[in-house]
Amino acid sequence: MATQIIMDHNGDTRHNFDAKDAKTLLEAERRFKALTGVGFTAATRTASGEPVVTRTFDPTAEETLFFPRLIGG
Amino acid sequence: MALLHAAISQLRRLLAACSHLARAFRDWYQRPSKSELRGLKLLREWLSQEQLTQYDAHRYFEVIGCHTGKRYRICHGTAANVFELDDAGLPREGWCFVPNDHLVAVDVMLAQKIGLETDERGALATANNFTPR
Repeated sequence: MATQIIMDHNGDTRHNFDAKDAKTLLEAERRFKALTGVGFTAATRTASGEPVVTRTFDPTAEETLFFPRLIGG
Repeated sequence: MALLHAAISQLRRLLAACSHLARAFRDWYQRPSKSELRGLKLLREWLSQEQLTQYDAHRYFEVIGCHTGKRYRICHGTAANVFELDDAGLPREGWCFVPNDHLVAVDVMLAQKIGLETDERGALATANNFTPR
């Protein structure tokens, strides 16, 4: 089971999907495109735990974190 | 005289009870919200062991910028909480950049960490800088 984690005012919201299930996989891909389309950054982690930004949907990623665009404060 | 001692003793007990109540109220008022607890769990999952140790000890952690190799300290907070460090580990310059949505402090810190570790120049290009005090 893979997870998409979206940072929001609740802390985060998590969506699980089964990469072997075409329906939930499609939903996850749509979510990825929708979020990155509105400026969210998507990040995964390497095996050693370092973050990596990803621009395309990776159905094999166990965990993808989305956070809103960074702006000057 | 005995009456005075009894009164002082009563007064001390009353003050101790008030102090206890005040501490309990402060703990209740400052308790982390569900959002903060959720954010903290996420932050802890994404920090390296070294960063986690720093955060637990000091409420800040340090990251290395992916482009320049510079060291930054990300302090607990939602604004003006990122400091570029000099060779002695002292704040040289402050950087202010945040996610463009209202997030709890620990989520802001995680976004700043990922920004600096994966796209340092991009993160700083959006940031406002300031002189640390």
